[in-house]
Amino acid sequence: MENNKKIFDAQGNEVKLSSADFEFCQVDKKIHDTKFETKATTFAKDAFKRFCKNKSSVVGAFIIGFLVLLSVFVPVFNKHDIEKPNIAQRFLEPKLFETGTGFWDGTKEVKNIPYNPNTDAPAGYAKNAVVEVIATREVLANNYSEYAHGGTYVYELDDLGTRGYEYLQHVSKIQFTKDNDISLNIEFADQVHNDEYEFAQYQIELLDSMSQRVAILKDWSTDYADVSINISEQITKNVKGFIRINAKPVDGSTKKSVVLIENLEYKTTSEDEELVALLEEISITDANATKQLGTKDVGYWNSTGVTTVINVVLTYMDFIYDPYEAQLGYKKDFVIGKSIIQKYIDNGWMEYDFEEGVESFKVLDEENCPILAITKQTENQDLGTINLVCDVTYYKYLGYKKMPKFFMGTNASGYDLLKQCFVGLRTSLLLSIVTFAVCFTIGLVWGSISGYFGGNVDLAMERFCDILGGVPWIVVMTLAIVLMGNNLVTFAMALCLTGWMGTAARTRTQFYRFKGREYVLSSRTLGASDGRLIFKHILPNALGTLVTSSVLMIPSTIFSEASLAYLQLGLQGVQSFGTILSDHQQYLGSYPFLILFPALIISLIMISFNLFGNGLRDALNPSLKGSD
Amino acid sequence: MWKYVLKRIGLALITAFIILSISFLLIKLLPPSLPLGNDDTRYAYYVIQENLGFMQLFSFENVQLGNYIDRGKTSSGTVFYCYEVPAFTQYIRWLTNIVTRWDWGVSTYINPNNPAMLIIASKLPTTISVNVFSVIFSVPLGIILGVIAALKKNKPTDHIISTSIMIFISIPSFVMITVLMSILCYTLGWLPTQWPGLSASTAERVKGYILPVICLSFGSICGYARFTRAELCEVMASDYLLLARTKGLSKRQAITRHALRNAMVPIVPSILSEIIGLLGGSMILEKLYGIPGIGKLYVQSLNAKDYNVLFVDMALFTMIGLIAGVFLDISYGFIDPRIRMGAKK
Repeated sequence: MENNKKIFDAQGNEVKLSSADFEFCQVDKKIHDTKFETKATTFAKDAFKRFCKNKSSVVGAFIIGFLVLLSVFVPVFNKHDIEKPNIAQRFLEPKLFETGTGFWDGTKEVKNIPYNPNTDAPAGYAKNAVVEVIATREVLANNYSEYAHGGTYVYELDDLGTRGYEYLQHVSKIQFTKDNDISLNIEFADQVHNDEYEFAQYQIELLDSMSQRVAILKDWSTDYADVSINISEQITKNVKGFIRINAKPVDGSTKKSVVLIENLEYKTTSEDEELVALLEEISITDANATKQLGTKDVGYWNSTGVTTVINVVLTYMDFIYDPYEAQLGYKKDFVIGKSIIQKYIDNGWMEYDFEEGVESFKVLDEENCPILAITKQTENQDLGTINLVCDVTYYKYLGYKKMPKFFMGTNASGYDLLKQCFVGLRTSLLLSIVTFAVCFTIGLVWGSISGYFGGNVDLAMERFCDILGGVPWIVVMTLAIVLMGNNLVTFAMALCLTGWMGTAARTRTQFYRFKGREYVLSSRTLGASDGRLIFKHILPNALGTLVTSSVLMIPSTIFSEASLAYLQLGLQGVQSFGTILSDHQQYLGSYPFLILFPALIISLIMISFNLFGNGLRDALNPSLKGSD
Repeated sequence: MWKYVLKRIGLALITAFIILSISFLLIKLLPPSLPLGNDDTRYAYYVIQENLGFMQLFSFENVQLGNYIDRGKTSSGTVFYCYEVPAFTQYIRWLTNIVTRWDWGVSTYINPNNPAMLIIASKLPTTISVNVFSVIFSVPLGIILGVIAALKKNKPTDHIISTSIMIFISIPSFVMITVLMSILCYTLGWLPTQWPGLSASTAERVKGYILPVICLSFGSICGYARFTRAELCEVMASDYLLLARTKGLSKRQAITRHALRNAMVPIVPSILSEIIGLLGGSMILEKLYGIPGIGKLYVQSLNAKDYNVLFVDMALFTMIGLIAGVFLDISYGFIDPRIRMGAKK
């Protein structure tokens, strides 16, 4: 073959070309395609990539993971007992920081508690546990009280009886002599305390021990100016006796009569200590204290009328209180048996000789020894027991090395709420995962059959679901619980009884979507059985969507279980979120943290599951594959 | 159309009948709960049960001892034994009473000897009033929030609304109730801690409505907002809205005349059915806040095994649920002319 083709350039000149003008671009024998430099992506990888793009879902997944880890490890590593009630540590506030930091430090603000002067602390609260007094205010009350002081002594005429007057007298007799210079000062109130009353007329007389009148110190009068009488000057001879204040209504009075004593004081120049003490006892300097005395007390005042007190001063306090210190800290006069003391001695924490007694006590190991001081040793001869009255550091006595901290506080039985919550979470998760697995399997099979075969089979199965789904679930649960007992297995079974219908409905929809597709038809043409079509061809395509939409069954099971507990049908003998929340409901007003922490955790897990589930659904949705 | 409606209602009635029958038989299979108290009150209880046909009393003279469930002595001194009638016989008697005389029986425990129907009727107004307020409150708010979120899609406003919807819809209702009670009733003391009774002052009773209405509304507000947002977003992306804009309508006109109207098509039926569904009330809310409604009654009668009251209540709940479903399906047809269910092709 002759190559006579000529080549011309644009101007029409001939161009000569030889083989030297060419070079090989490929000299190998075979020609290869270059490989893709990027890797091919799979469905799972693509889904994962798209899941990661959804930030909130990732956060949700992390929170779920974190809570699940906690629910596994907290019950293992937290050694607090949540089986046996421990009253000593009940209702402790949540404590994360040291006492005094003001936030989450285990203290609580207590308001309006009367101050008890006897213990120098608010009534009913331990002094050493009051961290800080925020405010005090004084309130006047018209009733005597253990915690009050001061006030006015009211001597109200009640029944004038045969004498025609009432009297008020002190019970203890005093030795009046000419020398001991006893004087009586009485301060009356200027005005009656109430419009219903008016002042009576009164008389003060001195009686001897046989109740015979010795002298009239002040005759009938309505003069309520302060009275000051030197009794020793009024008597002619030494006498042992008492004074009596008689009172009767003013003539023609229609109101109730009353004598109000602000202050009644005996004074003496004598240096006889006994007498001074006695006079001090008898004086009414604190009406509240006088009113509180019993008939046997030295300073008791006896009256035929009615005695009350008004305007006593009560001090109310607002303060910050540390229940940890009160319940687990220093304890005074705590009784410990010999065997425990012996254990401490054997541990080398302290030295004590039961023969020698209290004197031989010595602390050897300050860090571990719960006992600070021993005040008394008591022996019961009959039983042969020895008890010691000690001052102790209570948390050491309970076996704690240092003051325990309960991050979430403790409940009415003294259980650590933190551990309780995570044990509860574990139970709830276990229950819901088991339920999810069972329901999912049943629902999948049911929905597959119903969706694949359609027609009358579908109709019958749908009606069955309608009816079963129509039975109120609370009735199903009640029946199951009453018939089979209140335990975890029954719960899971009862929840499964109605729980699978959601998955079944979703599976059915998916089957309707896929069963008409060409690939199913082609497989059927090749002779595939129904089982093969269902499980090999249709189900795998639908599985992703089904799993993700059914994942939300887990939070809804947690919710159902908790709801049941609220309706008093909850699990018994097992800690779960429902039982924790419903048990603590009654403390909502007094200890809100008992509700708030479990509520916070259950809300957190629900929100996380929803976020996670939504993200997963978007990620696995086949129609969104490859987008963005 | 009417044929379809009637068919659906008939089907709902049959379903309700089967559900109630199954529940009745199942519950009657449980061991009966015996009344507490002295012999006289117990005897009175058994007489009621005998009149209803559920139990059989025998005195000592005319019966051999067998598997009696309880025994005692009447005030006249006769020893009586109480036997339970077989569950299926009880069921037949119960059904006969309802079908022939519309007699649902009398209460045995909660309000002894009063017709169960009347007890339910007396509790219903409270539940309905709480729920009506909740609907009035939640429907507009939910739709408005949903519309705002959809119009500002993928902007900060939308993110805030969607996130809060997500959070509030996830928080369990009882947690919401408890936390709100803790804050509003106990800590701040603004609202009564319990549902005020009839004796309370008007102001107090008005205050008593606030917490239940808030609690019931939260869920529905979130539900409506989410639904509205989803529907409106879909409509906004549709071709006909694009056409509306291209033929010269302003954005406002396009949204109000086309988008909103079409988005409302699935929303309105769901609101209607939810209104019916709300009549059932919330058992937990009623229990926690002490509202004397039918939800609380249900729990009470279940715990006390006051079967007649329980079954009227259960029938009510079931019918509410089924009718709401029927209503939902039918209302689609009325609202959206394109849907003609049951029509021949």
